[in-house]
Amino acid sequence: MADPVTLAALVLVVALILYTLFGGADFGGGIWTALAFGPRRREQREALFNAIGPVWETNHVWLIFIVVTLFTAFPSGFAALFIALMPPLVLALIGINFRGAAFAFRHYGRETGREVPLSATVFEIASVLTPFTLGMAVSATAAGTITINYGITATGTAVWLTPFTIMGGVIGLAICAYLAPVYMTVRVAPPLQDDFRDAAIAAGVALGVATALMIPLSLRYAPRFSQRLLESWPMLFVVLAVFAGVGTQLLLLWRRFKVAQLCAGATVVLTVTGFAAALAPDLIVGEMSLEAAAAPLSSLVAYLAILPFGALILIPSLVFLYWTFRGEPSSTLPPAGSENGSPEKM
Amino acid sequence: MDNLLAARALMGASLAFHIVYATIGIGLPLMLMLAEGLALKTVDDTWHLLARRWIRPAGVLFAIGAVSGTILSFELGLLWPQFMAFSGPMIGLAFSMEGFAFFTEAIFLALYIYGEERLSRRALFLCTIPLTLASAVSAVFVISANGWMNTPAGFQMIDGAPANVQPMRAFFNQAWLHQAVHGTLAAYVATAFAVAGFYAVALLKGRGEADGKKALSLSLAVALVAAPLMLVTGDWAADAVAEHQTAKLAAMEAHFKTSAAAPLIIGGWPDPETGTVSYGIKIPKLLSILAHHDPDAVVQGLDAFPQGTTPDPRLVHPFFDLMVGSFFVMALALICYWWPRWRKKETEPGRAQLKCIAFAAPFGIIALESGWMVTEFGRQPWVVMGYLRTSQAVTPNDGLLLVFATFLFVYLALTVGIMRLLLERKHEDTGGEVTHG
Repeated sequence: MADPVTLAALVLVVALILYTLFGGADFGGGIWTALAFGPRRREQREALFNAIGPVWETNHVWLIFIVVTLFTAFPSGFAALFIALMPPLVLALIGINFRGAAFAFRHYGRETGREVPLSATVFEIASVLTPFTLGMAVSATAAGTITINYGITATGTAVWLTPFTIMGGVIGLAICAYLAPVYMTVRVAPPLQDDFRDAAIAAGVALGVATALMIPLSLRYAPRFSQRLLESWPMLFVVLAVFAGVGTQLLLLWRRFKVAQLCAGATVVLTVTGFAAALAPDLIVGEMSLEAAAAPLSSLVAYLAILPFGALILIPSLVFLYWTFRGEPSSTLPPAGSENGSPEKM
Repeated sequence: MDNLLAARALMGASLAFHIVYATIGIGLPLMLMLAEGLALKTVDDTWHLLARRWIRPAGVLFAIGAVSGTILSFELGLLWPQFMAFSGPMIGLAFSMEGFAFFTEAIFLALYIYGEERLSRRALFLCTIPLTLASAVSAVFVISANGWMNTPAGFQMIDGAPANVQPMRAFFNQAWLHQAVHGTLAAYVATAFAVAGFYAVALLKGRGEADGKKALSLSLAVALVAAPLMLVTGDWAADAVAEHQTAKLAAMEAHFKTSAAAPLIIGGWPDPETGTVSYGIKIPKLLSILAHHDPDAVVQGLDAFPQGTTPDPRLVHPFFDLMVGSFFVMALALICYWWPRWRKKETEPGRAQLKCIAFAAPFGIIALESGWMVTEFGRQPWVVMGYLRTSQAVTPNDGLLLVFATFLFVYLALTVGIMRLLLERKHEDTGGEVTHG
């Protein structure tokens, strides 16, 4: 259990879960600025925007953390995945880039009193493109389409573009769209709260439908993965995820938002954990085991040894960040004009 | 353009782009910390207001730095999978530690930028301390990976694959310390000059009186402290390169033939065909003195290495001269600015001084970029010096030209966006002064 390869793989799964919980909600915020509805459309967008502001960069550092962990602890797996999945990863990268830039431009542009419609559109499109393509890339590791013969990783559309990976992308989107409004319900007051409640319930249904559809699809297109998921202990996570998901819907209906937030998080954690548990002991299903992908023992040990020190600095800082910006989102940048040397804002 | 060239062009463009924002991400936190510290110490609130005025550009520039850094971490795998499969176990540690530092940096920058209404003044200042430390430390960590590529350590080659990996030895490779210190200081100088240039131009145009002078004093004080250290660490780096990266030194100095009492060549265009340098200025024996502290020492030239294993001096020597030249431009500007203030007790910078500073402003970034070109082009054709060629590291995927073109477009779009945002803001500053001032 406590061998370095397993520990490093667990770190990878934890990082993936944290990225999904934080980065996913962040993307979801972008998705719901695109899908804002009803008479309070504008207020929904504002609230989402202000909530994302202070934390988006931190949320996305988890992705860098995943990439770094992958090439440090599983270098040959990293190389194979980045060869096989180049097209969806390039698309994700374009999305990440435009999303970050558009957010910064819109944010700081808006603060100086201008609306920046182009930035807003780019932000919304990129918020859909990125989780979709990342979802495709992650699910492709389970699809059984990545092949490595004599050290040569196969490339081509067939590797990453299958009904299974497309549904993986959809599930990625649904997770993001689900988390953001659930998190928002505890941060805003009615009537905006009710809007986010409706959005969360709708996205919860979408996520439920998408994951349900994934079962026949994986039986057909990713038999090895579905066998491991459905015929062994990882099935436990699937069952628990279903319970947590249904529970969240009920809690939202009853307006128990604080508990609903935790329950929604648990739903997503269980879904991702189930996926990872079914993938183990492989990094690329049927093709490359974690053991085969792993770095030499000394590198794994060095990597694992620095983690506690990193965590010692990181965890208190993260807690302080989220604690400072808890509650009602506000835009605390000074209004435009106050940067001109006038002491009025003090 | 073949795949290898497209991959190199894309990696080069991405790094050249990222370096600008990473540099500001290291330099600006120091300035924020100093300004906030001065505000608390002198009870002069204008220092605090000055720092708060930097948060908009800091926010945008840091965001671009973060996304361009994400691009780079992906490109390592997308473009150079074999390099990462080879090097991951050795340089992964440096990247992991950098990851934590960067994480810390992102957190405290967010707290500083958005925390005005939620944190006390002292807490805001305290946030700038981990921000400054984390940004410097992240540079020091990530440069270890580059140092390792230049002077690989911490493994043995057995049957064509690295074995007996010692990650700590890889981290503390020979080139790491001098590159890290020199590179981090360069970021301070480059940011200080960029900030000083911004305010010098504003003052020349008759804007932002009180602010401008404070910002100039602060940024040029940072530059004044860092610049002499640049010279010292530059000499240290050159010594180390002379000892451990002989081919790079030969390319830097356009030194073709191994010889005793080697001259230093300044400027000129090296011609690898004939092994000569046209139009260069030769200073007798200086290269031997600089490289080995002995006027008659033998300095290895490019001819000391097998054909096809050395860098092209046409891509290294001019950038080396540009880096050193840029330093002297900035040094002159610093003297121009500080000499009258020190000798004649003048407190107001004159127009001539402001023009000097404005002219010298871009040379910090120019020096940093060209120094990086020297280190990268100077290692070719190797990606891991002596072990893995760049051509062996590239991805087997086709269509890199398309990817290159796409990202070139991304970078252009970002640059246009940033320029519009920053320049329009400047516009508003002048307008704002009328309404609020």
